[in-house]
Amino acid sequence: MTVFNTFLKILNKNKFIIIMYTVILITFAGFNMKTSDNRLSFVSSKPDVLVINNDENIGLTKDLIEYINKNTNIIDIEDKKDNINDALFYREVNYIIYIPKNYRKDFLNGLNPKLKIKTTGDYQASLAEIILSRYIKLANIYLNINNNEDEIIKNINETLKSKTNISVTSKLDTNNLSKATYYYNFANYSILAGCVYVICLILSSFREEKIRKRTVISSTNMRKYNRCLMLSNSLLAIFLWLFYVLLSFIIVGNIMFSIHGLLYIINSFIFTICALSLAFLIGNIITNKNAINGIVNVVSLGSSFLCGAFVPIEYIPNSVLLIAHIFPSYWYIQNNEIIKTLEVVNIDTLKVIFINISVIIGFMMLFTIISNIISKRKTKTK
Amino acid sequence: MFLHNFKYSFLTLFRNKMLIFWTFAFPIILATFFMMAFSNIEKKEQLDIIDIAIVENEEFTNNKILNEAFKVLGDKNSKEQLFNIKYTKLEDAKKLLTDGEISGYLLVKKESTEVIVSTSGVNQTILKQVTDEIIQNQKIMEKIVENETVNGIYNIDYNKIYENAIKTINEAEVRLENVSNKNLSYTMIEFYSLIAMACLYGGILGLSSINEVQANMSNNGKRVQVSPVSKSKIILGSTLASYIAQLIGLAILFIYTVFVLKIDYGSNLLLIILLSLVGSLAGLSIGILVGSGFKTNENAKTGIILSYTMFCCFLSGMMGITMKYIIDKNIPIINKLNPASMIVDGFYSLYYYDTLDRYFFNVISLVIFACILILISIYSLRRQKYDSI
Repeated sequence: MTVFNTFLKILNKNKFIIIMYTVILITFAGFNMKTSDNRLSFVSSKPDVLVINNDENIGLTKDLIEYINKNTNIIDIEDKKDNINDALFYREVNYIIYIPKNYRKDFLNGLNPKLKIKTTGDYQASLAEIILSRYIKLANIYLNINNNEDEIIKNINETLKSKTNISVTSKLDTNNLSKATYYYNFANYSILAGCVYVICLILSSFREEKIRKRTVISSTNMRKYNRCLMLSNSLLAIFLWLFYVLLSFIIVGNIMFSIHGLLYIINSFIFTICALSLAFLIGNIITNKNAINGIVNVVSLGSSFLCGAFVPIEYIPNSVLLIAHIFPSYWYIQNNEIIKTLEVVNIDTLKVIFINISVIIGFMMLFTIISNIISKRKTKTK
Repeated sequence: MFLHNFKYSFLTLFRNKMLIFWTFAFPIILATFFMMAFSNIEKKEQLDIIDIAIVENEEFTNNKILNEAFKVLGDKNSKEQLFNIKYTKLEDAKKLLTDGEISGYLLVKKESTEVIVSTSGVNQTILKQVTDEIIQNQKIMEKIVENETVNGIYNIDYNKIYENAIKTINEAEVRLENVSNKNLSYTMIEFYSLIAMACLYGGILGLSSINEVQANMSNNGKRVQVSPVSKSKIILGSTLASYIAQLIGLAILFIYTVFVLKIDYGSNLLLIILLSLVGSLAGLSIGILVGSGFKTNENAKTGIILSYTMFCCFLSGMMGITMKYIIDKNIPIINKLNPASMIVDGFYSLYYYDTLDRYFFNVISLVIFACILILISIYSLRRQKYDSI
């Protein structure tokens, strides 16, 4: 009990760190999750487009703007100083269309005037260009046939009405599953940074030279002392895990009540235990509190960046992912990504997840063995 | 005496391993992580060739327009290639879709054309838009043919009309002129904010050298303070030592990011150096202010600088560049007062804009920021007396 009490005292001193990493998790998880309905029918992607019209808003120009409005998200930005260029750089808009003065007149006179555009060059912008080109092409074609403006507009809109049927096969709630995946991927950082850091700090407080000597000389059974320390740290890790899981129910929502949600929870539990063993390893190797800060930061940031906790895993170069295999985070995040696309849950599809989990357990055993060897050696040499 | 103090302050700073780790090594490690994680983002965001399948049935083979159009769009040798097309049976297409190897497939039926996808997304939208376009072209052909027939030409030469129609469609030219700036790589902001972090972390160096000469902070300080040397000389010597140490760290970071990570800071070397000098000065001034103005122990002071720096960097876009934009757009005053943001915005304006007024606005803001902080520190450092320590 004495050990546990001391443990709680030290924990209380360091509670700020845990609160900080939790706040980071909530901020980023909340920040990146726009609420959206669960839709199983097809929804067209709409690029963000800004139209700056210097022409009169009538006739063909008006119809063009209405068409853009229908097929893209029109973003309204005040045309002031650097506003528009900043918006393009920070990707608030993907595509900017400048309609020049007298565009409509020139167009109807067959001059085919140029449109100035600004583009971010990403696929959203390409989509915007496809949409814009579509209209101008149609307008050109109908101008060749008949140059009556009303007739052209009527023909264009009639043509645009004919569309292909599109159907979606997946019955997965992709939107909410991506949210859950994002949350649990980011939790990788919070668990590693928060949990590991605090446990290392607590361990190093217990292992301080003077305190360690006093403990060794006391009548306390060393085995019992170690077991108690181990148990209280495990309790802390499990408590934190439970807290993050509860938080996910609030932030992510209903999808957590499904079988997919259960898989996320199991996966994160195994990972938390693995993080615990990593904390013991680091706590055993290093006793200098300042150095712990550096090492935990490098380990947690490193494995979060390289394994895809912050950046979607498909954006990370293959060579980096190859290196990432040496971190348990990689296997944990891979599992989250697999769960996201799991259509049917059966032994066959779960096999991959089980393999990844066993790799994480392997890491856990490795960390435990190494930290035992090191701590044995340390006691002997002293 | 000035030189003596300067030399030993300098040596003390470099002997402190933790200090060197946070100010020298940590930014470099973080830059490497950034590079590994972000290097591919922008490449992956460009439109790639989309994998699709087309069900090869009788209806498709008979539909000349669809046939031709997809042949062009799937041509591997063409610059305009948009799709990578597999022509398959219906069952195979279904399997490819569930395996995630294609974005969607096309099924031509007698009365309609269908696109089948597994989820909604940009690739799927493009597939639909393009198929729509082809279907619409078919409608246009019909209209043109109809038009010609109505015009009263009785010897209908369908082939010729068709050829004319195709010509009209193909000749419709879309004239767009791209006037966007060339430097649009937004991940640069991450690296700029990293430089800002390194500049402000330099404050820790300033802090520790101030602590070394303050009587209430260290034993060393007590000895220094009772020595018969003017205070201004001592403090100037230590701060100059930490400023130079900071610049050395920054230079290493610059060399590493420019030559190893290939970061683009714009082409004007002198202005880059000026901005880093001023940025480091701002960091130093924070360190001196915290060192002289706050009456707590050294760890708490370091904590204040670290958390202040992290918070400033967070607002200036280190943990997601949208943050800087949101603040700039909605509450600009915060980033006008935030030294990290001034540094990031300075580099950004060098990289993105051709004009320099925004850059100089940031440089001057940084100088004012540093001057105010240093003046406050001087005010609180002068005529310090201790009745007891």
